[in-house]
Amino acid sequence: MKVIICGAGQVGWQIARHLAGEKNDVTLVDVNPELVRRATETLDVQGVVGFASHPDVLERAGARDADMLIAATHSDEVNMVTCQVAQAAFNITRKIARIRAPNYLGAQYSDVMNHDRLAIDVVISPEREVAEAALQRLAAPATFDTESFMGGRAQLLGIQLDEDCPVLNTALRQLNELFSTLRAIVVGIRREGRLFAPEPGDQLLADDQIYVFTHFEDVNRAIEIFGKKTKKQERIVIVGGGHVGLAVARALEARSNRVHTKIIEKDRAVAEAAADMLERTIVLHGDGMDIDLLMEAAIDRADAILAVTDDDKTNLLVAVRAKQAGCQMTIALVNDPTLAPLIGPLDIDAYINPRATTVSSILRHIRHGRVRAVYSIGDAEAEMIEAQVLSTSPLSGKLVRDIAFPEGVLVGAVMKGERVVKPTGDLRIEAGDVVALFTMSSDVPEVERLLQVSIDFF
Amino acid sequence: MLARLSELPLLVVLLGVSGALAFVPAIHGLAVSDYAVARDFFYSALILLIIAAMLGMATAAYSPRDPAQSHLASLVGAYLVLPFAMLLPWLQALPDTTFVNAWFEMTASFTTTGATGYAVDRLSDTLHLWRAIVGWYGGFLILLAAYAILAPLSLGGFEVASGRVPGRRASALTQAQRVAEPAQRLSRWAVRLLPVYSGLTLILWVGLMITGEGATTALIHSMGTLSTSGISGQSGLAGGGFPAELVVFLFFLFSLSRRALPAPGFAAAPGTLLTDPELRLAMQILGVVTLMLFFRHWFVADSTGDGDAAVDALSALWGILFTATSFLTTTGYVSADWQAAAAWSSVNSLGMILLGLAIFGGGIATTAGGVKLLRIFALLRHGGRELERIVHPSSVGGGGTEGRRLYQEGAQLAWVFFMLFAISLALLTGLLTLMGVSFEQALVLAIAALTTTGQLADLGAPEPIIYSTLASPVKLALGLAMILGRLETLALLACVLPARGRR
Repeated sequence: MKVIICGAGQVGWQIARHLAGEKNDVTLVDVNPELVRRATETLDVQGVVGFASHPDVLERAGARDADMLIAATHSDEVNMVTCQVAQAAFNITRKIARIRAPNYLGAQYSDVMNHDRLAIDVVISPEREVAEAALQRLAAPATFDTESFMGGRAQLLGIQLDEDCPVLNTALRQLNELFSTLRAIVVGIRREGRLFAPEPGDQLLADDQIYVFTHFEDVNRAIEIFGKKTKKQERIVIVGGGHVGLAVARALEARSNRVHTKIIEKDRAVAEAAADMLERTIVLHGDGMDIDLLMEAAIDRADAILAVTDDDKTNLLVAVRAKQAGCQMTIALVNDPTLAPLIGPLDIDAYINPRATTVSSILRHIRHGRVRAVYSIGDAEAEMIEAQVLSTSPLSGKLVRDIAFPEGVLVGAVMKGERVVKPTGDLRIEAGDVVALFTMSSDVPEVERLLQVSIDFF
Repeated sequence: MLARLSELPLLVVLLGVSGALAFVPAIHGLAVSDYAVARDFFYSALILLIIAAMLGMATAAYSPRDPAQSHLASLVGAYLVLPFAMLLPWLQALPDTTFVNAWFEMTASFTTTGATGYAVDRLSDTLHLWRAIVGWYGGFLILLAAYAILAPLSLGGFEVASGRVPGRRASALTQAQRVAEPAQRLSRWAVRLLPVYSGLTLILWVGLMITGEGATTALIHSMGTLSTSGISGQSGLAGGGFPAELVVFLFFLFSLSRRALPAPGFAAAPGTLLTDPELRLAMQILGVVTLMLFFRHWFVADSTGDGDAAVDALSALWGILFTATSFLTTTGYVSADWQAAAAWSSVNSLGMILLGLAIFGGGIATTAGGVKLLRIFALLRHGGRELERIVHPSSVGGGGTEGRRLYQEGAQLAWVFFMLFAISLALLTGLLTLMGVSFEQALVLAIAALTTTGQLADLGAPEPIIYSTLASPVKLALGLAMILGRLETLALLACVLPARGRR
């Protein structure tokens, strides 16, 4: 597939990397020649220097025969116009635009951003998605990673196992018999840095990171079984008052239970803008690394700290410092996936990877057809794919135990109608069911073949 | 015609207008068959118009160096000079009065103070009408000045919102941007404000007549309410009973918030009237005062329980609410139920509360006097913010750019104004005591003059102070203090200082 990506910023770069890794023909457009040069050198992409919305620039990027355009420049307006030009001049079928400003995304104008009006097929908003991810982490404090599937009826939880976890050294098959009513399944284990899909005979060890796919009603029970406690979050400190921090604070303010939120922001103007937008939240101006300021925000009594500045190292250090000062739970925003392994040694409870959330939402639209959701796990090591089974699929009409899944694939849950059921060997998958599959990256093409949805679907 | 008029010096135009207004009592005199008084007013009107026309011709080519400053000077001049023009018919109609008394009367009316040195019965309704008209004219002038003269110079309460140094004009950002000519601005605002101001007066007049007041009395009360002068004719507002008070009460709204005026281009900030900080503050103040005085009855007063308690309670509640609002807007009408209210709450010195309310004053860019609610609001916000900073020293306040300016630079300027007000109050009180007035009376009179609420003399002190018993120098000092209070010390300083300081 031929894809044009406009804007070689954080988002554009990561999408380009991911799509190029899947053997797509990717062209990156940016005004900054330095960025374009670096992209063409490090990634398997072509580069075009120029202003994204100019038709001649798009033509040079190969818009005549492109299948998809992703507009991810820093300006909402440029993204919109780029999509319109792509529609009007080159008739590109799929156009994805990154829109940041919440004003464009308001519910009352939601029908403006459609194919006919502004010629945008899909709107992605990384800040909003990262804010949602942050809220999910806050909601499930014992996990290091969460994502909801099947319209909120199922949840993927990432849990770090401790020494005192009660189910260590037990085969997964036995676990299944022990808690037969628990609608949860361990779909992935990361041991010593390597992620794999477990066999029924595998055991859980201390310091494992496991991914559990569970029915949403059993989330708290699952967390307790793996030796974690669920606790209500009342005092939250957010470091960084940019788009993400502000969106999280606003969402927390909108909640009915009173959450005491404090924001620490270094830039005076940004801090003032945040203070204007928020009602109850206290905005503090200063360096988040300053211990006096952290104490002013009562970090020693805080239930959670959310470090969401634009600098990864600051986020990590702030989280460590807060933990040391007595904060119960630390969550850090980490852009650079190579920093993710530091989370464990630094004793940071959870991290948010904007790349994963954004790439996940883009992938959902690339794997179009019957794929309803894709969540990228870890450093693109695996994916959780939610898809509807077509009648033409080899899966259809077969028992789970009879399906020839590749080694790195596990069924997380099956949704029949509105009902989410735990997969067992003698469960029959029928056309129209929705399945959630944990898939190692290397097995994605095979899964796509099984689902009868290929990337050339459109 | 209007454009031609707006090019004349402001003072000359104002003189002409006061001449034209003198025709109204002349017509009223004819209508009530008081021909002598009608003649006095008619001739005075002619004389004033002729003088204005001659001055207009003589000064037609006058072009000041700094029109904005010149207009400010004209405004000050208007308050100093125009009372002398207005007392012309007064002296004719009341031959046995002294010049100082007539000047005091006119100054008190023109500054919307509404104090009177005469017994109510001594003046005919025609003369009362002239007082009301002068007060109404003064109210319109200060309203017009607030928008057209004081606002561009960041004075008259606008300095709190703009945070700019008072007395300086906003500079244009580029050459392409033209700062509006003060003369143009004046005529534009006059055209915009006059229909609203007189229309509201007319509505209130009709409303009061429906409640059963006589035509003249209703007009006097209508003008007294809109201009916050609180001038009454031979029969006071109490004559109209509860319905009249209710109608007047509704019109106090226009003295509490500038946004209440129903005209395009007035809403300086977004949001509805109910979100207006001045109106909300006024409602809070009035609510606290009314409820405190109302419920005090059960804690303090020995409820002997004679008579109909429910009716007593309601009339006391209304009496407190109406009178408190009236003095907060610096109008000075007293409810007929005030005595009942005083008895109900059994506070010995209820007048002290009215003194405090009058110092708060109404909204900025309204006809009300006093410190003005917006300044109080800015100081309150500043105080709240400082408390927040005690808990979180590095916290950032919200409220938008304008909100922040209000409690930062705005509060500072409000504080400066408040101190100037306090200093003028202290100096005036000192001056009056030097002239032989007892301290308590001097304090009440000083507050009455500086807040332009002349009626405080009746209620502020335990014993009513009668203006006519005061010596001439005291009246002179009070009259000047009223001008100071009306124009606000800051505007007066801005008029005097920068011209000397800069050049």
